[in-house]
Amino acid sequence: MGSVHARSLDPLPMQGPELGVQADDMDLGEPEHEEKQEVLENKDVVVQHVHIDGLGRTKEDLLTYEIADVFRANNLIDVMKKSHEARQKLLRLGIFRHVEVVIDTAEGTDALPNGLDVTFEVKELRRMTGSYNTMVGNNEGSMVLGLKLPNVFGRAEKLTFQFSYGTKETSYGLSFFKPQPGHFERNFSINLYKVTGQFPWSSLRETDRGVSTEFSFPIWRTNHTLKWEGVWRELGCLARTASFTVREESGHSLKSSLSHAMVIDTRNSTILPRKGALLKINQELAGYTGGDVRFLKEDFEIQFNKTLFWDSVLSTSLWGGMLLPLGERPSCIADRFYLGGPTSVRGFSMYSIGPQSEGDYLGGEAYWAGGVHLYTPLPFRPGRGGFGDLFRTHFFLNAGNLCNLNYGEGPRAHLSKLAECIRWSYGAGIVLRLGNIARLELNYCIPMGVQSGDRICDGVQFGAGIRFL
Amino acid sequence: EKLLGDVTTRGQELALPLRGKLIPSRCCASIKVDFFCAVMSLAAEAFVSQIAAAEPWPENATLYQPLKEDQILLSDSASSLAVQTFLRMCGLPVQVSCRANAEYMSPSGKVPFIHVGNQVVSELGPIVQFTKAKGHALSDGLDDVQRAEMKAYMELVNNMLLTAELYIQWCDDYTATEISRPRYSSPYSWPLNHVLAYQKQWEIRRKMNAIGWSGKNLEQVYEDVSQCCQALSQRLGTQPYFFNKQPTELDALVFGHLFTILTTQLTSDELAEKVKSYTNLLSFCHRIEQTYFKEHDREGQFGSSRHSKSSLP
Repeated sequence: MGSVHARSLDPLPMQGPELGVQADDMDLGEPEHEEKQEVLENKDVVVQHVHIDGLGRTKEDLLTYEIADVFRANNLIDVMKKSHEARQKLLRLGIFRHVEVVIDTAEGTDALPNGLDVTFEVKELRRMTGSYNTMVGNNEGSMVLGLKLPNVFGRAEKLTFQFSYGTKETSYGLSFFKPQPGHFERNFSINLYKVTGQFPWSSLRETDRGVSTEFSFPIWRTNHTLKWEGVWRELGCLARTASFTVREESGHSLKSSLSHAMVIDTRNSTILPRKGALLKINQELAGYTGGDVRFLKEDFEIQFNKTLFWDSVLSTSLWGGMLLPLGERPSCIADRFYLGGPTSVRGFSMYSIGPQSEGDYLGGEAYWAGGVHLYTPLPFRPGRGGFGDLFRTHFFLNAGNLCNLNYGEGPRAHLSKLAECIRWSYGAGIVLRLGNIARLELNYCIPMGVQSGDRICDGVQFGAGIRFL
Repeated sequence: EKLLGDVTTRGQELALPLRGKLIPSRCCASIKVDFFCAVMSLAAEAFVSQIAAAEPWPENATLYQPLKEDQILLSDSASSLAVQTFLRMCGLPVQVSCRANAEYMSPSGKVPFIHVGNQVVSELGPIVQFTKAKGHALSDGLDDVQRAEMKAYMELVNNMLLTAELYIQWCDDYTATEISRPRYSSPYSWPLNHVLAYQKQWEIRRKMNAIGWSGKNLEQVYEDVSQCCQALSQRLGTQPYFFNKQPTELDALVFGHLFTILTTQLTSDELAEKVKSYTNLLSFCHRIEQTYFKEHDREGQFGSSRHSKSSLP
């Protein structure tokens, strides 16, 4: 029998929900075997051996889980499909540079007439890789130097060191990640970090030194993360002219908190999705495992996307959160929520909505924010099929509110406080998508419902970030 | 007499570059600190005077210091008492508020600081300038020579007494372990309390190293305190205040430090004994306490704490 050679597929990125399984670029052999093709498709085969060639430091027991499914294939097309899936699984471990699949007839003394051998030819990543990136976060840029050690002990553990020097903050971090063999979605990681941030809207400077451990695991269709975090926070005034309320928050504190996050994400992309929904619920309880700060914090994020006529997308999102201080100490400025800016309620200056003192914004203990967007391709579709596809025009309507909770009035009073004096804005602009991580926006905004104390940015507003309302 | 001569010379040298020959080498390191302090205080003076508009002194002026019961240390308590005494001498009302993070709230990192209107001013020197800009001053009646002398003696107290207090608190291992570190870190939870206490101790020890005090032992420090008290005692003589009838900021500063030393319980009584051996200083402290503090409710603003005894011996 002739050999069937599955041509290796182009390398596909590890994560990328918009890329589904594509089994259509498989080469089924030379044309003169065509008359036998139908026969091969319907023929029952047995996968006798699966080899993995090219292993160095990777331990084999880790990989048996990923390739176990290939043995269960019972016809040729099935073998090809399952091999492709196994290849995807091996790639997502993040330890191989590329993986090639070779399917051949079985050979050897115990070879069956319809037996097949599948071989995965892999090339491991180098022991240590360095990287240099520039990163765009929410309205700031930074230079990031990284050092990565993939597959440190042979079972897909990853050790990362990152140093970031930015326009506003300097930070470094060390992180160790270990997945459970056989269940890559179940993993845990330990992080050690120091982060410095400057927040000119509050005239506040914050330095966090912390350690955190997190466990992630999927349950049915949801993804859960449990985390314990211990942070030494140092707050200071950014300028001599900071308001006294912010000055009173200066000093050191220790936060030790347990948090749980649940995510259901059926969108096809994190930036500019065309369909799907997102639900994220996060809660954090601080103070019962040590530390000076005690609170319970809840926040959620919902997003729906739907493709309409003519390639346009309607997207609605809703954010909300609440911070409940436990004990007699009031909440700390570093824990509160902030609202406003090009990444949340557009038309207002960065985090410049809500309670403030002498021009410094103090944040609030409860907030909600919602947005309705209509994304359309650029008019007349310039650069279609290439660069032009990265741009979108969008029309938006944003609204939100932020306030403090003074307990003693009951929940109904708080709901009514959040419902009155709503800030909202509308406008239109252009969105540029940067890879799969970030987006840039240039909008013309008209803010409405402005309360005294808010700072607005009406007219043209530019925003860059990874998480937008 | 010799020490007095040195002090006067130092006072006159403030405006000029250092002339090493006139000053004995023992005081050289502290002279350098004087010089830098003089430059810094000139800049601070100009800044504070500019922003102290001609607004009257408000009713709600507040002085911030660390927690009195559990946290405040000898040196900070002395500085805070000096400022409180000065403001009482000027007849300016001020409320005292105790905060665990007072040191970090302060714009210069030192306590105490006052919050007046919408301005924040820390340390006695700038506060004196600030009140002068508002029209209240104690040293207006002095001529230039006396003023220079007053400044020189204030520098002496800051460089000898205050530094000795810091040395005893942080460089003496026994005191640091028994008193200073536990008190300094009392508002914080584990492990932050240890980190902050050791950080402060290293910072003070580095500073002592920089000014040349790390080579001294406790006996030499007590001896320095004694000499400083002798100089003060000689200047005071039999007068009610340092400049005869009128109290000045020097009186407030000396009272702040001496009273706190006399009423604070440390690991040993030797420091208090050194001060007690000068009877005119003792009666000076009594007199100021009677005049400015006994007439108000003592418990509310000036009460005792576990760290300090309730009255003068």
